[in-house]
Amino acid sequence: MSNIHGKAYAMNTVSPMKPWKTYILRLGFFVWRHYKPIGNGLVQLSFIHFARWVVVPRYAFPRLSEQQPKDDLQYDYLFFFSNFNGTWNQYIDAFSAVLFSGLNLIWRWSEKFPGSVPVTPFKNFIVRGQVETDYYYTAYPHATTNDIKAAHRVEAALDNFARQTEGMPPAKFAEAYSQFLVKVQGDLGETGEAPVGT
Amino acid sequence: MSNQSGNIYGLTILSPIKDDPHGEISHSLAIRMYLQTLPVDGKGPFGKVSSTHMARLVVLDDVVYFGMPSCEEHLKSKYLIFESNFDGELEPYLKQLAAEAGDEVHNIWQHCIGYPGVQNVDAFVAYMKRCQVETTFYFADVNDKTVQQTLKALQTQSAVASFIENNQGKPPDQLQAAFVEFLRRLSIAPRPKPGSTKGKELADELL
Amino acid sequence: MSKLDVTDIQGVAVRGYNFPFARFLFLKFSDKQKGRECIGQLVKHVTTAERWDQGKPKTTVNVAFTYPGLVALGLPEPSLLSFPVEFVQGMKARGAILSDTGKNSPHHWDPVWHGEVHAWLGVFAQLQPDLDRRCLELLTLLQESGAAAMTGSQDAAALQIDGKITTKEHFGYTDGFGNPEFLGLEKDAQPGQGKLAADGKWMPLATGELLLEYADEAGELPVAPLPHLLANNGTFMVYRKLHQNVATFRKYLKEKGELYPGGVEKLASKFIGRWRDGTPVELSPDKPNPTIVQDKDRNVNFTFGNDLDGARCPVGAHVRRTNPRDAFGFNGKLINRRRISRRGMPYGPYTPEDQPGRDDEEHGIIFMALNASLFRQFEFVQQQWIEYGNDARQGNDKDMLIGNHGGCGKVMIQGTADHDNPPFLCGALPNFVELRGGDYFFMPSITALRMIAANSVDPR
Repeated sequence: MSNIHGKAYAMNTVSPMKPWKTYILRLGFFVWRHYKPIGNGLVQLSFIHFARWVVVPRYAFPRLSEQQPKDDLQYDYLFFFSNFNGTWNQYIDAFSAVLFSGLNLIWRWSEKFPGSVPVTPFKNFIVRGQVETDYYYTAYPHATTNDIKAAHRVEAALDNFARQTEGMPPAKFAEAYSQFLVKVQGDLGETGEAPVGT
Repeated sequence: MSNQSGNIYGLTILSPIKDDPHGEISHSLAIRMYLQTLPVDGKGPFGKVSSTHMARLVVLDDVVYFGMPSCEEHLKSKYLIFESNFDGELEPYLKQLAAEAGDEVHNIWQHCIGYPGVQNVDAFVAYMKRCQVETTFYFADVNDKTVQQTLKALQTQSAVASFIENNQGKPPDQLQAAFVEFLRRLSIAPRPKPGSTKGKELADELL
Repeated sequence: MSKLDVTDIQGVAVRGYNFPFARFLFLKFSDKQKGRECIGQLVKHVTTAERWDQGKPKTTVNVAFTYPGLVALGLPEPSLLSFPVEFVQGMKARGAILSDTGKNSPHHWDPVWHGEVHAWLGVFAQLQPDLDRRCLELLTLLQESGAAAMTGSQDAAALQIDGKITTKEHFGYTDGFGNPEFLGLEKDAQPGQGKLAADGKWMPLATGELLLEYADEAGELPVAPLPHLLANNGTFMVYRKLHQNVATFRKYLKEKGELYPGGVEKLASKFIGRWRDGTPVELSPDKPNPTIVQDKDRNVNFTFGNDLDGARCPVGAHVRRTNPRDAFGFNGKLINRRRISRRGMPYGPYTPEDQPGRDDEEHGIIFMALNASLFRQFEFVQQQWIEYGNDARQGNDKDMLIGNHGGCGKVMIQGTADHDNPPFLCGALPNFVELRGGDYFFMPSITALRMIAANSVDPR
């Protein structure tokens, strides 16, 4: 098994929720989806490629045959799947430090959630509910989401620069090149191996 | 449509796993053991379905009990969770999965209840849809670039950094000539394959 | 919060003494009981954090222990096992996390680090003869204990240039700026040392970022050993002997400086984020400014919020990599739990600037840093901000000055369209600095030292 592939970590958590609280959570997500400022912190932290929350109501676990035993659950279940960059501790530390109110809004409806600050009980809650990933694939293991966004900016700048300077005399070309350098200068970090997981 | 963010589809599938008390090993263990043998790079099943940005397989043995005063309860079946983030739409993706990674798909999902095989693609797609659960909230940091566009951009980024380093301080005419040549070589360069870790090497070969 | 008991805390934990001479003795204990008795004698010499209102002492003495050292002194097992994992493992075992590989790997370390080191005895002095005298006194004490041998020692001294004591290090930079400020420690605090409040003012960091058993920046207590009395007022120290390749550095700077339109000195300032005299590049990007250097209210008082693209102080500059301040947004909140207090000193003779210098001479910096959590503070900065660059949006690019480059890698010096401040790429980076040894140490309070000596540490 591995939770890690290249620079990405596949985290899975599951937590039980009393069914009436699920409605409130769904409402919370609805608000989030339609009022962007709540998501800004997540975007600014910039270490998640893809993340999703999936509410599986207690009657909705797939049952594909009559022979499959019927579940009789009291709780709905909140699944969280994240593809993030950085170490496990780094990730949770950052969330707890700057996104605690957003996290609280999502997980306070789960049973026994201790709050996202202070960080240690929060980490214990996540460990309790974390399920290991058995197989993990990423198409670009050597790149974080920062690397990717930088790469897209560099490519766009290059395309623009190439078009703009076609047929230019050398002196003007050099001038435009200086400006091109300024445009891409912050986005040239190398890609490669991830630091050792801790 | 909350399964989607921009052009990226967030697929969540929970397939109930067979429970055979008479088998030599359980089906869930068989899945795990098989998954250990699969390559995690482009030669693996999701690497072959090249629209896959990131995908995972998780055997869910049970739900989690967090302690009193919450109630302890258990699932009566184990589930294979398949979480994927890919370009495009669901049906074409599932069909591609069956077509291009049919062997791996079969070896994994044969342990699941109701799995009809990959030969009948429509039946397979219908089966997977029955196991699909709706994503409640989906976040994709970059949601408007395909896998291929991303790989090309990463290669370009690396190549540009090398170009800058190799041509620093050159007089304008040499610089321009080098740039034109660089663009030409970049345009015909072989693209890095998904799951590959060779971005930098390919860029270096370029120059 | 209540005032800290400065008579209980070891002095070097809370401030640098700024004495120009030092010797670090590495000890090994061979008998538990006698080793403890030795500590009982040593503790009488240990310098505390009390202020020197009656004049400075001639010398100071401090002591800290590795995990094998605490085992050798017979600390009870439940106590030993309650220490944080990274301290128990020791720095050598953490090499993969710290990138202490290749030229930095333990094969290249000084002989003393090939065996077990149990304790660090740090002696600082105002004058060399006093240093020698005090060390002799301590060595006699150790010998008389019959259980404490010195397995190695390391001299360090402020660089003297033209007969004057300076705060320079071997690459020619003025060092010693930028230590953090903590709540409760009476110290001449400077704006810029602490953390940023919402209104842009500077505030001290939580005491628990330095000392154990105090609240930290996350509003909880850092992981600490049991019993409380053992941990209280203690801290963890990381010691790293960093050899400096003076010739390689000077050659590299000269070669690149010839190509860099701003000139050698400006390029040198871009590497670090300070001009060689200490002027912060962020405050004065075009030239050094002695007025700022001498002004305590300004020389560490800057932020990067208005320079996010690095045109003034490059994103990869050493001071920015190791303390990003507000560069990651969120008003600096992601930085507050990643600060360390540095007590380093140079070792080896100074090479005048007009000489090419040598790589094979014994010279460099003894890097010592104190923090409440090695894992969350020093190790994090080393792994994520020095040997890796994702948080700074620099991919795998390492810290220019101390990264373990191995001849590859690069740093991009950001600039503007201005001809004197262009973007400039420095590639094929050699190792300017090489690790020659070190370890993790626990620096107990005076109370804890006495308890260890009296064998009265009871973890139940």
